[in-house]
Amino acid sequence: MKLRNRAPAEGINAGEEHPLREFAWLAGGAIAVLVAAVVALSLGAQWLAPKLPYRYEARLVGELPAPAAPKDERGRAALAELQALADRLAARMALPEGLRVTVGLRDEGIVNAYATLGGHTVFFRGLVARLDSEDALATVMAHEIAHLALRHPAAALGRGLAVGLVLSVVSAEAGRGVAGAALGQTASLTLLSFNREQEREADRQALRVVAAEYGHVGGAIDLFEAFESMRRARGEGGAPQVEWLQTHPLTERRAQAARDWAAAHGVPADGARRPLPPALAALRGGAAVQR
Amino acid sequence: MGALLEIGLFVTLLALGYGVGRVLERRHYASIRRRERELADVLAFTMRFPPASTRAQDAFLVCGSVVVSSDYFKTFVAGLRGLVGGRFRGYESLLERARREALLRLKQDALARGARLVVCVRFESTSITSGRTPSIEVVAYGTALVPRPR
Repeated sequence: MKLRNRAPAEGINAGEEHPLREFAWLAGGAIAVLVAAVVALSLGAQWLAPKLPYRYEARLVGELPAPAAPKDERGRAALAELQALADRLAARMALPEGLRVTVGLRDEGIVNAYATLGGHTVFFRGLVARLDSEDALATVMAHEIAHLALRHPAAALGRGLAVGLVLSVVSAEAGRGVAGAALGQTASLTLLSFNREQEREADRQALRVVAAEYGHVGGAIDLFEAFESMRRARGEGGAPQVEWLQTHPLTERRAQAARDWAAAHGVPADGARRPLPPALAALRGGAAVQR
Repeated sequence: MGALLEIGLFVTLLALGYGVGRVLERRHYASIRRRERELADVLAFTMRFPPASTRAQDAFLVCGSVVVSSDYFKTFVAGLRGLVGGRFRGYESLLERARREALLRLKQDALARGARLVVCVRFESTSITSGRTPSIEVVAYGTALVPRPR
């Protein structure tokens, strides 16, 4: 027997395939499947939410505390004015049976408002203090009520639960590693696009209601322009915004969309603004609401 | 901008892992092939006993061990591969390099101590994954034989 070693065989134990080819197949496939799953689940949730009788949602949130109510007299007066505005605008919208819009006012400087399960809408003092007219405030209010009318909070809940379930399975399979994190990022970006679509829809409904209430949509344009100038004042004016990373459509586009909507529906884009009711106007001078 | 930064960082790490990993792998293969030619006359076999023709005067244990680590790119692709299964070529070449390197080190050990023949060569590997990027140790060991002078 002659003993000899030959050189190790090449290309048998380790493949010659280009690594990027494998990467492209795997990453492309995983992203495509995940985006398709998130889109399907989101569409499903969006389709199902308005069909779900509101009383189930009410039962679900029945245990939750009502939005924070201000404790002092001025705050309570401001809240009452907000609630009156909400009731007036809600009367112009097709709300699900049994849903009553309840407004909350929080004494925080954040410029924001949101709508959530159970017909609750919460305004932050920081937002009210930045608005010049009732028209602008009514645009925000109508936008939030539109979310409620369209059952967006319920759709978001169902979507969040379903997508979370899928992601928990996927990321468990993809290990604690970066692949799981990257897929999670893909899913949340896909969700954001649904979010933006909902915001556009709420904007459209708000424009309709504001036009019916005030006879023009000047307040809505004021509002979106105020958002845009706030963004610029924060020093973000220089950096271009990337829309697909945002929860809302770009503010400059929202103002333009309002003008386009007005032109398309023959509604004036400008007109006399109604002043804010007294207690809400008082919030503007930095007068804080005691919670 | 936070999300954009996160995506940018991720893509950078992925590209870095791929680019650097690819260059290092190519260099390592070149070095392995060169040393395999240099050590071609040190023979290594898996049989348990020396061939009958061998008249050894000395025998001792020789061993070569190597630790290799995956890179960001390979680990990412491995995570995706874990979803669907199948042959993962990124780790195949990583482990092939580790085995060949371990065998080379074993031969180097044998040669340094005057042996030209190693029998009963065995391979073992231990995963030492602690962080996100897995590493593995591959050990080759065997019995080196020094021939009796004629």
